[in-house]
Amino acid sequence: MGEPVKGTVTSLSSIFAPEDAQKASVHVQEVISERQKEVQQLQAFLNDNTSLVNLVKKLPDQLHHDIMVPFGKAAFFPGKLIHTNEFMVLLGEGYYAERTSKQTVEILKRRGQGLESQIESLNAVIKDLKFEASFFDETATEAAEGIVEIREDFVEEAFDEDKATTSGDDDFARILSRIDELEKEELESELAEEGEEKEEADEADIEPEFRNLEIKELLDIPVSKDSHIKVPTPSGSNTPVMPVDHNILKEGLSHAPMSRDEVEVSTLVSSSSNVSSKTRVAASSSSNASSKTSVPASGPSNASSKTSVAASMSKEVSNFGSRSSNDKAFTGSIVEHTHNIENSQKGQTSAPAPTPASKPVSRFKLQRK
Amino acid sequence: MASSSSSSSRELQKELEAKANDLSKIQKDISKNHQVRKKYTIQLGENELVLKELDLLNEDANVYKLIGPVLVKQDLAEANANVKKRIEYISAELKRLDSTLQDLEEKQNSKKEAIFKLQQRIQAGKAKA
Repeated sequence: MGEPVKGTVTSLSSIFAPEDAQKASVHVQEVISERQKEVQQLQAFLNDNTSLVNLVKKLPDQLHHDIMVPFGKAAFFPGKLIHTNEFMVLLGEGYYAERTSKQTVEILKRRGQGLESQIESLNAVIKDLKFEASFFDETATEAAEGIVEIREDFVEEAFDEDKATTSGDDDFARILSRIDELEKEELESELAEEGEEKEEADEADIEPEFRNLEIKELLDIPVSKDSHIKVPTPSGSNTPVMPVDHNILKEGLSHAPMSRDEVEVSTLVSSSSNVSSKTRVAASSSSNASSKTSVPASGPSNASSKTSVAASMSKEVSNFGSRSSNDKAFTGSIVEHTHNIENSQKGQTSAPAPTPASKPVSRFKLQRK
Repeated sequence: MASSSSSSSRELQKELEAKANDLSKIQKDISKNHQVRKKYTIQLGENELVLKELDLLNEDANVYKLIGPVLVKQDLAEANANVKKRIEYISAELKRLDSTLQDLEEKQNSKKEAIFKLQQRIQAGKAKA
């Protein structure tokens, strides 16, 4: 609690008053209904146009039609429609043209297309407006519920998990980081697929090396099978980030120790090999895979054996480190990666819904997509 | 002292009113401008439609122009030229309206600013009093 202030907490209702958001939403609704009226009008025009097209098509079917001719406001008298294939079409602005039925239909169809495109564009506008209205509605309800917005600057160097739990990250930054992360993951899985093939090819070359090492160990040190199998775990400490890569590593590693020699070793295992020393070995190799640091021995009786185990293991690990970096070149990105994932997850859990309102535009765009 | 401050505040009030009147006048002009522009844009669209249709007509087609109550026969080329001229005129008019609208909006903004400053001065005067 004594920590310095890292961010600001503002209740959403202080930024967007619920009444204002409601008002805005109502206003947008009004605009929508206006636009819908326009669409209806255009639709009516379009219907008139199509019925007119039908009539104009039908008229020249006969030489003349018996009709009732309107006379004044209320009177009709019987008449005949002749010259049924001659039309005087109003082009607009007082210009008329004499046209045949077919030509008239063409003109009318062109007009219909114009109307349709207008309706389409209006519908698109209405769709946009509806999204806007729903956004305003959401903001209003969120503000009314008393959701708070937490803003905090993201400090990358001084990152640890405790901070992450308290940090509600900026919405936009979170989305960006998520996108980055997904892209990276995709890239890596592609690389991993490529790497998998290579790995299989490499395995044959590398395995003999392991065997030699293991045989040496077998001569003077009782090595537990477990300690070997644990090797992949530390080196694969990045597992949550890239399950695929980890699997490959594990596969590669556990394949080698599980060879014929290893089985013999496991039969020779004495109960003296204690768990704590093993875990330490694992820890050291995870912290610095390529270095050849020896592990502090817990049991003085087999201290020498353990150091050699550590050495051999670190050699193995370094092998893998170099191999994987050659094959995949992902080692650098991993660390940053884990942060990203944790950050994004934590951000989501700690600040679930309120942040969107801080970036109305981006949220809106997102929705539109 | 008190009387002078009240008189100055009255003057400010008067000025504010005058400015507000000017602003409302400008806003009226702007809305008028918008209406006229709307009319012209509609006419422009109609004329363009006519031009398109005239282009599609055959050379020997009969074209008439409605002048008052009568249809007057017109040459197709003549009608075409007339419509083109009309379109030119309307676009020029639209451009002119655009520039005047910009002018008006600038004026409106400056007036708004002036009013805002006046209001602040009045507020300050009230706070002193």
